[in-house]
Amino acid sequence: MSIWNYVVTAHKPTNVTHSCVGNFTGAQELNLIIAKCTRIEIHLLTPQGLQPMLDVPIYGRISTLELFKPQGEAQDFLFILTERYKFCVLQWDAEAGELVTRAMGDVSDRIGRPTDNGQIGIIDPDCRLIGLHLYDGLFKVIPIDSKGQLKEAFNIRLEELQVLDIKFLYGCSKPTIAVLFQDNRDARHVKTYEVLLKEKDFADGPWVQNNLDNGAGLLIPVPLPLGGVIIIGEQTIVYYNGFVFKAISIQPAITRAYGRVDADGSRYLLSDLTGMLHLLVITHEKDRVTGLKVERLGETSAASTISYLDNAVVYVGSSYGDSQLIKLNLQPDSKGSYVEVLESFVNLGPIVDFCVVDLERQGQGQVVTCSGAFKDGTLRIVRNGIGINEQASAELPGIKGMWSLRASSKDVYDTFLVVTFISETRILAINAEDELEETEIEGFDSDAQTLFCQNVLHDQLIQVTASSLRLVDAISRRQLNEWRAPPGLSINVAAASSSQVLLATGGGHLVYIEIGQRELIEVKHVKLEYEISCLDINPVGEDPDRSYLAVVGMWTDITARIFSLPNLELLTKHSLGGEIIPRSVLFCTFEGIPYLLCALGDGHLFNFILDVNTGQLSDRKKVSLGTQPITLRTFRSKNATHVFAASDRPTVIYSSNRKLLYSNVNLKEVNYMCPFNSASFPDSLAIGKEGELTIGTIDDIQKLHIRTVPLNEHARRIAHQEATRTFAICSAKYIPTVEDMETHFVRLLDDQTFENIASFQLDAYENGCSIISCSFTDDNNVYYCVGTGYAIPEESEPNKGRILVFLVEDGKLQLVAEKETKGAVYNLNAFNGKLLAAINHKIHLYKWTLRDDGTRELQSECGHHGHILALFVQSRGDFIVMGDLMKSISLLIYKPEEGAIEECARDYNANWMSAVEILDDDIYLGAENSFNLFTVRKNSDAATDEERSKLEVVGEYHLGEFVNRFRHGSLVMRLPDSETSQIPTVIFGTVNGVIGVIASLPQEQYMFLHKLQQNLVKVIKGVGGLSHEQWRSFSNERKTVDAKNFLDGDLIESFLDLSRSRMEEISTAMSVPVEELCKRVEELTRLH
Amino acid sequence: MWQMVGRRETGRLPPHKFRALLQKTRLYSIELAGHKEIASAHKSGVNSLQIDATEARYLLSGAADGSVAVYDIEQATAYDHSTRTSKHEALFMVDKRVLNGHLYSVSCVHWYPIDTGIFVTGSFDNFVNVWDTNTTQVELQFNMSKKVYSLSMSTLATTHMLIATGTDDTRIRLCDIASGAFTHTLSGHRDSVWVVQWSTRSEWVLVSGGCDGAIRFWDIRRAGCYQILDQQCSQIGRRPPVLKKSSRTHGREDNLCTKYLNASSPIRQRGQKRSFGISAVDSRTAHYGSVAGLQMTADGLHMISAGTDSRLRLWDVESGCNTLVNYPSTYIRGNKGIQMAVTPDSSLVFTPSLNAILVYDVWSGHSYSSLRGHYDQVNCCAFHPQGQELYTGSNDRKILVWAPRRPIDIDNFDYEDAEQAIKADEDAWSD
Repeated sequence: MSIWNYVVTAHKPTNVTHSCVGNFTGAQELNLIIAKCTRIEIHLLTPQGLQPMLDVPIYGRISTLELFKPQGEAQDFLFILTERYKFCVLQWDAEAGELVTRAMGDVSDRIGRPTDNGQIGIIDPDCRLIGLHLYDGLFKVIPIDSKGQLKEAFNIRLEELQVLDIKFLYGCSKPTIAVLFQDNRDARHVKTYEVLLKEKDFADGPWVQNNLDNGAGLLIPVPLPLGGVIIIGEQTIVYYNGFVFKAISIQPAITRAYGRVDADGSRYLLSDLTGMLHLLVITHEKDRVTGLKVERLGETSAASTISYLDNAVVYVGSSYGDSQLIKLNLQPDSKGSYVEVLESFVNLGPIVDFCVVDLERQGQGQVVTCSGAFKDGTLRIVRNGIGINEQASAELPGIKGMWSLRASSKDVYDTFLVVTFISETRILAINAEDELEETEIEGFDSDAQTLFCQNVLHDQLIQVTASSLRLVDAISRRQLNEWRAPPGLSINVAAASSSQVLLATGGGHLVYIEIGQRELIEVKHVKLEYEISCLDINPVGEDPDRSYLAVVGMWTDITARIFSLPNLELLTKHSLGGEIIPRSVLFCTFEGIPYLLCALGDGHLFNFILDVNTGQLSDRKKVSLGTQPITLRTFRSKNATHVFAASDRPTVIYSSNRKLLYSNVNLKEVNYMCPFNSASFPDSLAIGKEGELTIGTIDDIQKLHIRTVPLNEHARRIAHQEATRTFAICSAKYIPTVEDMETHFVRLLDDQTFENIASFQLDAYENGCSIISCSFTDDNNVYYCVGTGYAIPEESEPNKGRILVFLVEDGKLQLVAEKETKGAVYNLNAFNGKLLAAINHKIHLYKWTLRDDGTRELQSECGHHGHILALFVQSRGDFIVMGDLMKSISLLIYKPEEGAIEECARDYNANWMSAVEILDDDIYLGAENSFNLFTVRKNSDAATDEERSKLEVVGEYHLGEFVNRFRHGSLVMRLPDSETSQIPTVIFGTVNGVIGVIASLPQEQYMFLHKLQQNLVKVIKGVGGLSHEQWRSFSNERKTVDAKNFLDGDLIESFLDLSRSRMEEISTAMSVPVEELCKRVEELTRLH
Repeated sequence: MWQMVGRRETGRLPPHKFRALLQKTRLYSIELAGHKEIASAHKSGVNSLQIDATEARYLLSGAADGSVAVYDIEQATAYDHSTRTSKHEALFMVDKRVLNGHLYSVSCVHWYPIDTGIFVTGSFDNFVNVWDTNTTQVELQFNMSKKVYSLSMSTLATTHMLIATGTDDTRIRLCDIASGAFTHTLSGHRDSVWVVQWSTRSEWVLVSGGCDGAIRFWDIRRAGCYQILDQQCSQIGRRPPVLKKSSRTHGREDNLCTKYLNASSPIRQRGQKRSFGISAVDSRTAHYGSVAGLQMTADGLHMISAGTDSRLRLWDVESGCNTLVNYPSTYIRGNKGIQMAVTPDSSLVFTPSLNAILVYDVWSGHSYSSLRGHYDQVNCCAFHPQGQELYTGSNDRKILVWAPRRPIDIDNFDYEDAEQAIKADEDAWSD
């Protein structure tokens, strides 16, 4: 690997942190806006459900998302504040369908201590100001004038030190805030202040409420006519408005999110950490509050945000489980729950650990993540590309083509599968035993290769062979009519719609035939100057049975020509360039847009947007799908049309957000494909591979495919063992009735079914901290080693732990050896047939020794100490790379002769680490506490000892994600001859559910892409005018420096989404042709 | 610890809070570091210590014998394997033998805030010396004609390079490194000035504490001081009443316990000062004795002062109010200033008090511990923000290192043996 790294997101963040509802896209439209840490999604509420409108990245981690409507405006504005003190106000431009920045700025102070309890951003209900609490002791005010413009911000001194929450009160003549804070004696109080905009100061507010519940953590301002505030504690809920005080006690719960149900503020939804949803009702007589009532509604995912949409439908955004769209019913269901889940949105976060495995042994990695927390803990199997679930297969060598036919046009399902070989055609059908059986269609010529066949109008079938076109009655299966090729010429290619056939014979003859009842009418015949290589007349217009356009691919001049039907007039001739002939052309419509796809013999594919009326082609794009000739076929899945490109790298072409996407299919090589929707194999595809016919169903068409295995407990660590085909996980089961009580297990799962085969319960307070699968010197068995720590609540640092060595025998976990340690075993590594353990602040090497009685044990060999907490350890050869809790990366070396571990070098920056990985012998990658990535290099050739003892920082980058784990591996199938397959990659998983890829590029490619990135930054402006350069600059408590030697892959790949004109703008600036740029960027998209 | 790591992994504990919590827990366990030793190069008491702001790697110390030394606190010069202590010897030491070196006690040392190429020292020989670190030569001298007690350079300054000096004179003088001349003379104190410190919030604001018990705030762009702290003024958080808007501004001026000179309109205010009578305002004191130490918190919102009345006081800088936090049982006496240290998160303050260093919670005044190890009076402390180490200098000529407690290693190679040894030991004692 190299120091030039390319970072790209394979799976976007799914952890929902904020949400709000308002009229953002139009005065009459109700929108749900969701923040997923570094992205925002805008949805429109329609009677059919949520309709996505926009999904954009934000150059920052969103800490506040609020809608507000200044006086005189019809639509809401969106206020976004990022954790790095940038804010912006966005407005929706309905005409352009994009976000417009109304205001933006920086609210950081040069000096100041960031608040411990997170940033608070609030907007006055009367839109007079925006209030921010970013630094201890200061309240920042951004005044909003009567025209809705933001004015210069200023700070007001806020004496309260430990602020827990601040909210604006409703119905105050001057903007008034309520501050929930904790004093030096840990007591909590609420105080109110009026904000005096002119004097830039506070005045004492109307009321104070001292000595609240010790767990009070959330304020809910109540709108008029009631006014006042609700204070949510762990044991009580209090309402107070200066005059009326009402309190009720509740079941102990930590409430994290609330959502207002009614505009008048009399009902609220509350969700606690366990995901229990409660309804809080303020009972009132007119404007006088008479009491509070809490009702339990039911269980959802543990919410981080709740937005009440409409008609009892609620959006529950979650950080620890899947986000949900729920409906609140008036009547409870059989389990007493009023909650009905309408829809779930997959959330991978937090990914605390994962492993990369190749379960199907196809050379493609899959990621198995430990996702979710608490009761929402799951394993997720994430795989790139589309899987085919094989249902039946037969050995059938030499397939030359396949078509499915229905027995009658009224049938829903396909009955026949026509399979053709070099000199024969066989017809397969499903018999009563659900088996494929050979059958016959009398009217078909079975002794010749079929070029085409299809169901056509009037319950008829057609078959095209080299010599003739036959029309067959579907019921009687008799031949009705035949059109014979002129003598001396044979038919080479053919295509048909329900009422038309287009044939090409040798010599460049193109024949157009219309199908009537029992008759074939030759309508037109033209001779072209060259031979025809492929053609298509798939209807793309309004009439599904009839096409008005035909496309023909030519030999010799390498063109795609579009003809009108029925008179075969040439409309367009498009030269494809190069020397490779087109092998397959296809008309198809994606999301209402007609396209022409044209595949070449070398695995390249052109796509054009087609004008149905004039036959003009525009927006030419070229991608490389494989290296062998491609055959294109359409199929339908989940009510959408997709195209299957069969080649050495089978691909499904589909469209999302009006953009064509290419997703590879997890099969090695496919020659032919046809949809085969039969009664016993519904929605299936028949796939012809080398020597084999397979029938299988296809996964949902999307790039990353995620399968969920619910555990109902929190998986913390995972390891895979190839030898026994199992996974082992360390998990914690929470028992909600007993506070903070957990039981910890080591569980063994089957790697195919994910069934729990065996479990090993750990001692009380004993946590599984690390797990690996490894083998030892002089022992052929493969073991699971589990490191544990006893987390006694009173002790700050575990001072006891164990290393457990398990052998999987007959599907059981057999404890073979155990070794007590003086601390928690944070990390385990297989180390040259030994075991390397990181125990608290030390690193220990254990060898596996044979006792006299034949049993084995771990024996300490040597160690290294002097770290604060050795949290992350990786090894390579005799080198050990260690990520310390707070002292960055150290490089250690094991000296076998001396039996000692010594430090060779370290990084003197005080980075608080969250993960480390070894990229190659000299370069190590680290992720740190402030969401940054960095690489360091060993300077073994340096002149002085001092330089040698220093790990030189060579790359720095702000990822904006908290990385929990790096693993070597790849999400995509590596083709040996593809350029990208030479690029080594590391996968990472983060708290927000991001799966990302870091690829080490050769220098030349890095320089090229770096230039492209610089040009892209000029063209693609960040949402809200936020700066890309600032966002990607490495930043922590001590320093902020520009990113270096890292490229933002998400930005670079967004090049492909640009309009042609902007692509050209960049192409001119770089003096590289657009095609070349597209090709190089597309190559990179293959990395994930 | 494991639980905290786990909570950070799942995102329940935001990383910045994880860091803050851990730093706090570690700080509370601070004790004499067994793994690190500074070999003091001085032959008499250590008066002043400072760690450089750029790399936080070099410790500068000044001693009563006129010597100044620099230590590398990251990389040890020697390592003792038997006791597992790293020994840090001085990289270099300068004293009176160097041309223009200090003849008498060095009272204060200061790194140049931008890099470690320059450091500044002040001494009882009346001189302020500006040294080049690489050549270890005096590059520039300022003759203050009185004993120099304290000097300070602003870490924030981007537009000036001024050394503020507090001397045995009542006047504070600002020396400009760029020109080698005095740029300002600030008069107001009525006795020697033992401490000067630049504000950590504004590059123009200087705070000084004198033997007259006064703490004065100066804005060097304007004449005169703009605030004198009053220990009697303690109405923190008092806001003007809500409804009486008309009387508000008036009320504030009445309540002029803090700002007698509003920085925004100095001329008008000076007129008012006359009407109040100079002595009333001017005679305000922050301490009953001399002000011996000043330390602003990193965010510049609060300041802790130490007086020879043996009191520590926490001030809200903006309002100038005494917060009345009680820091019990300090003992501060002496004839020169002391150096205190506040942790960057403003949670703890370290105060030299006789032979010990007292550790207090800044906000509650709760005394956490008293660090004992020096054999004579402690003069100064310097806190290392990343390593969370405290360096202290004392009249016993030593520089001691205090660090968060490390888990005790009984052994490296043979747990069992060590355990047995301990058991045997225990047995022996229980008999």
